[in-house]
Amino acid sequence: MKHALSLKIGPATFRIGSAWRQPVEALAALYADYPAPSVEVADFTVRLEPAGPLRRWLRPSIFITGDHGLADAAPMSLSHGLLAAEMGMNLQMALGWRRHLLLHASSVEKDGRALVMTGESGSGKSTLAAQLGERGWRLMGDEFALLDLATGMVFPFPRLVSLKNRAIDVLAAEVREDRMGPLLAGTAKGDIRHLVPNGDAIRRMDKGAMPALLLFPRFGHQTDVRAVGQGEVFMRLTQASTNYVALGEPGFDALTHFVRNVPARAIDFSSGEEAIALVERLWEEPA
Amino acid sequence: MPPRYCQDSPDAIAACVLEDMALLYHRPSGQTHMVISPVPEILAALDNGAALTAGEVHAELARLYDLGAAEEAVPLVEAHLAELAALGLVRLA
Repeated sequence: MKHALSLKIGPATFRIGSAWRQPVEALAALYADYPAPSVEVADFTVRLEPAGPLRRWLRPSIFITGDHGLADAAPMSLSHGLLAAEMGMNLQMALGWRRHLLLHASSVEKDGRALVMTGESGSGKSTLAAQLGERGWRLMGDEFALLDLATGMVFPFPRLVSLKNRAIDVLAAEVREDRMGPLLAGTAKGDIRHLVPNGDAIRRMDKGAMPALLLFPRFGHQTDVRAVGQGEVFMRLTQASTNYVALGEPGFDALTHFVRNVPARAIDFSSGEEAIALVERLWEEPA
Repeated sequence: MPPRYCQDSPDAIAACVLEDMALLYHRPSGQTHMVISPVPEILAALDNGAALTAGEVHAELARLYDLGAAEEAVPLVEAHLAELAALGLVRLA
């Protein structure tokens, strides 16, 4: 490919190729503080290609592909090239990663223990993790938590945090401007801006932590905390995992061990401040 | 002759008991099943490798649990066994 970049995020390495310069330049700027991959061969390749023969120049339109692709993925506008690259990396992880049980969840760490948060898009898990990452917790990732099959530890995947709509202003008010990516307006998920995780999150991106609490956050509801039964937790986590079935029995063993050992709560909240106070309180409570 | 049921194979199932249910990982198919009582108990009755009828499974369980009248309980055990056979967790002997 004409323009290319190699990246290491947590344990995974990516080679991103693009027919255009812009997405690669934007990625290189935002990932400037990440360590360079130490191996020549990447785990995954991501390719951003013109959606058709003329679409490199004429109303440029990106088709995301790579080692693993989705046949019916809709082409994206070149102005959203950074998002396309990020989506491409997520797609490769979701479809191809086998070294850990992959949970669609955010995670943060404090005192060597991890808090894992999972929920639908819009639940607030990403924003909450990003905010905690600025307030004494270490951000481990806003999208994927990697559960180690042998040890039960959670490992980080601290890619850029994808902030959507109202979350953009919340975090932009808390961090230095140079940690915020360009505004990508009018994407399929609304407005998006990427946040570069802080130095601590990047420096310690190879360091796992034992999970100590699982939360199912839900933004936009009156404050509430509910216990969640182990059966429901198991079911929701299998739904939140993209490779549970592919991993077979080691995945079953890892997930059942997690469910039996990590206390789980569903939390509702109507503001970020409320959510943070709730998390801090639950974190201090004995399991 | 009433049908006889036995385990799929001695180590076909990895089981994990949670607070409110049991999980069964079926090794040959790679499928995970979430089950509640009396399914784990019925499977346990077949644990020694024997091929039993629904009546015999019931008799085995009745030694450990209060199952009520046999004429009502045996058809229920039979229905569970047929369902488990359809899932591949037990098979007809």
